[in-house]
Amino acid sequence: MLMLLLLRETVGGGLMATTTSGVYIHVIEDVVSKVREEFINNGGPGESVLSELQGIWDTKMMQAGVLSGPIDRSLVQRPTPGGGPLTHDLNVPYEGTEEYETPTAEMLFPPTPLQTPLPTPLPGTTDNSSLYNIPTGSSDYNTPGTENGSHASDVKEKPSTYMQPPSPWTNPRLDVNVAYEPERGNSNPQFTHDLYVPPSGKRKRDDSSAQYQNGGYIPQQDGASDAMPKANLEGNAFGITFVSDRKVPRDVTCSSSNIPQVDGPMPDAYDEMLSTPNIYSYQGPAEDFNEARTPAPNEIQTSTPVAVQNDIIEDDEELLNEDDDDDELDDLESGEDMNTQHLVLAQFDKVTRTKSRWKCNLKDGIMHINDKDILFNKALGEFDF
Amino acid sequence: MATFELYRRSTIGMCLTETLDEMVQSGTLSPELAIQVLVQFDKSMTEALESQVKTKVSIKGHLHTYRFCDNVWTFILQDAMFKIDDRQENVSRVKIVACDSKLLTQ
Repeated sequence: MLMLLLLRETVGGGLMATTTSGVYIHVIEDVVSKVREEFINNGGPGESVLSELQGIWDTKMMQAGVLSGPIDRSLVQRPTPGGGPLTHDLNVPYEGTEEYETPTAEMLFPPTPLQTPLPTPLPGTTDNSSLYNIPTGSSDYNTPGTENGSHASDVKEKPSTYMQPPSPWTNPRLDVNVAYEPERGNSNPQFTHDLYVPPSGKRKRDDSSAQYQNGGYIPQQDGASDAMPKANLEGNAFGITFVSDRKVPRDVTCSSSNIPQVDGPMPDAYDEMLSTPNIYSYQGPAEDFNEARTPAPNEIQTSTPVAVQNDIIEDDEELLNEDDDDDELDDLESGEDMNTQHLVLAQFDKVTRTKSRWKCNLKDGIMHINDKDILFNKALGEFDF
Repeated sequence: MATFELYRRSTIGMCLTETLDEMVQSGTLSPELAIQVLVQFDKSMTEALESQVKTKVSIKGHLHTYRFCDNVWTFILQDAMFKIDDRQENVSRVKIVACDSKLLTQ
């Protein structure tokens, strides 16, 4: 008798899914079927995108351990592969499984040819002359040989141009973090060096280093003075002596490159950067060398030094304010992002309180507790405050 | 019709949100369509919970924190015991977020 009752329950279920996994599968299918119209009509992305959406969604659910395989729809606690925690860490990049091979960009879009320019024709091949010559008549047959050669050489250069680094500032031999060492024998100060680059907001440090590969001399100046500094090379160091009355920056002798430091409201962490002229940029070729340039290193170095500064400031602030907030209350908000926190999402019908005894009637809820997903239709809560 | 975005914080909701985010980032899907999918998920999930789930649960525990704001109750329980049908689960700390069911029928 009991066996018959059990059978009736399972058979009577029909398409109705009673397990958590089954409900999830039903929800996924329901959502997909209801949005199919939006995907297909009105210029939507199409059925393939919808299938991709469902596939990725299914995969993530299986990775989270809340969904059984599409074939086996019984609620089975699947052990996670590798013995890792059932709870899926949502902070790592998505990695598709082989079962649901996520269409990669390569699959969706055929890879573009490696060489965007025309392939280099073999020199001397007359068949290729048509590529470069506009057939205007028989007289052109005399020229293909030369033109072909020239064109071929041009085209030949193109791939090599593409192969090379696109700009000289990826030259690895120049390290912007060491003191600037100009080429030997360069003792001609070039004040109007064509190193002018319009200062941009976030130009990479490497970009400006390219200008200095020629061993250009960068005069360092401090203050609003018109006198030109004298430059002299001292061995490997690059020294500048000022001739007029001018503040000598404090670090003029201590750095290995003997480049005077700009005086200004900057923390010491910047000194090392300042000693390298590579990162400076000129506002104009024959400028007045005022302190107008001091914002330049700040602009360029916004990434690292400011970050360091902010870290220091933040640490201090954290130390000072660490007791201001109640950590337990804070967990109310910060805990929302914790994937492992036990959570119940539901609707409430009624919440009452008598003295310190709380009672609430909940319905239609999803619970995630002890790494398990449990759905409920009704819940009665009794809490003591 | 108003929907509760509450269920988007569940595992299934987060998986969907992630999937949609990835597809919008890659340009496969437009943000408007992604939002439509999420709204449909809200409806489907609510419907499924109403119609397909028959489980009854009893919750007992110490109420550490309660909050009622914007018609949403948030409870934090400590040492909670969940009785689900014939089995039991114990957790040291759990957060309960509940929206007003009457808002859906308005």
